[in-house]
Amino acid sequence: MTIFLQTLPFLLDGLLTTLLVAGSVVLIAIVLGIPAGCALVFGPFWVKVPLRLYADFVRGVPILVLLYFVYYGLPAVQVNLSSMTAAVVALTAFKTAQIIEITRGAFQSIPTGQTDAAKSIGLGLMDRFLQVLAPQAVRRFLPPFINSLVDTVKGSSLVSLLGIVDLMLSLQQVIGRTHVALPVYLMGALMYFSINFPLSVLSRRLEKRFIY
Amino acid sequence: MSDIQSKPVISMAGVTKSFGLNQVLKGVSLDVAKGQVVAIIGPSGSGKTTLLRCINFLEEYDGGSIKIEGKEVGYKDAVGERRRRSDRDLAKLRGDAAMVFQQFNLFPHLTATQNVMLGLVKSRGKSKSEARQIAHKWLNRVGLSDKFDAMPSQLSGGQQQRVGIARAVAMEPKVLLLDEITSSLDPELVGEVLAVVKELAVEGRTMILVTHEMDFAKEVADRVVFTDHGHIVVDAPPATVFNEQPNDRLRAFLSRFGSFRH
Repeated sequence: MTIFLQTLPFLLDGLLTTLLVAGSVVLIAIVLGIPAGCALVFGPFWVKVPLRLYADFVRGVPILVLLYFVYYGLPAVQVNLSSMTAAVVALTAFKTAQIIEITRGAFQSIPTGQTDAAKSIGLGLMDRFLQVLAPQAVRRFLPPFINSLVDTVKGSSLVSLLGIVDLMLSLQQVIGRTHVALPVYLMGALMYFSINFPLSVLSRRLEKRFIY
Repeated sequence: MSDIQSKPVISMAGVTKSFGLNQVLKGVSLDVAKGQVVAIIGPSGSGKTTLLRCINFLEEYDGGSIKIEGKEVGYKDAVGERRRRSDRDLAKLRGDAAMVFQQFNLFPHLTATQNVMLGLVKSRGKSKSEARQIAHKWLNRVGLSDKFDAMPSQLSGGQQQRVGIARAVAMEPKVLLLDEITSSLDPELVGEVLAVVKELAVEGRTMILVTHEMDFAKEVADRVVFTDHGHIVVDAPPATVFNEQPNDRLRAFLSRFGSFRH
């Protein structure tokens, strides 16, 4: 029991780092990914092609490769990032690609009849988007988005490989010092779970709320 | 119901439309006078729905001309090469040819009233309170006074389609386009929708309807247009079309509908 109390502050520090990484990744990815996703659906050809290539390429590469590419690869071209920055950049690159895809899917799964109907009552492009498509897209966006939030929290454990003391690395360090593996890992798993479970619940709540 | 003397509301001349290599409309010409009800019948794939969708430019026609009260629908009346109208321009014109769809296409996130209000507010520039009044008036007219605040998912198919009609007709369009509006309804719900359409016909609204309901076309239309392979083959009053059946292909088509077998 004392081992828990002794290591808890240390683990909580790690948890905080995990949340910090995941939080900034998601925030930046939303800001970049949603407009880019809209552009992928509604934009002109010359905007769509590079976005399409980006999203497909980045999602096709393991996150660990992205992480190492940014941290160990980019210095070769004089881009030297701190481990924290490199981690956020790499994870954000991946998350943005994912959010582009989720946004695209949310819009493209709306039946074309919705656009037809909006056009036939005289709505212009902006009103079709704001009044008809976007509200329906939000509902289709939320469930996969929250899934992807959960993935971000879990996936952020990879940053421990760059030496960032997140929850994952702090668990390992505690185990390294105490040689008590099972209970500590169990505690770590519970801490990850305690973040992600409320998100899952929130996802189900939101799904229900947006049913019409 | 018709006033043949007046200038046509809709004037189509030599309209062509292809999807890839498949030419669906091969030079269709059709004038519709104010207050006229025109029923378009014909086998599937004959271009009926495409023709209707071209009238409010949901499909872009390739050649020929479609005018609503003298104004070219999808293109600028420019000399020489014609240019597609801007989206804003198109939006305005489209409200003049509001459409009711086979699949209803109600906005699922809006109530019945909001469905009807949307075009009035955003396209016709009405205030919300005025739009709500108009919406309630039309929902009353189609017999849905108890469903103002219902979501589309809470309505039966027939009720949804009546909201669809209210949404279109509330725009006070110059022509109302009805695209097989009973085809996805259960048989027992068809009657309530056709009753609404009939009422609109009687009060002198200009309408073009694509339909498989031959009895209804016979009853409500001033003219029946039979299309086949992208052409208008017959264009005549219903009595002529259904009784005399002045064309082999028309006869073959009508023979599939029991009551019109010759």
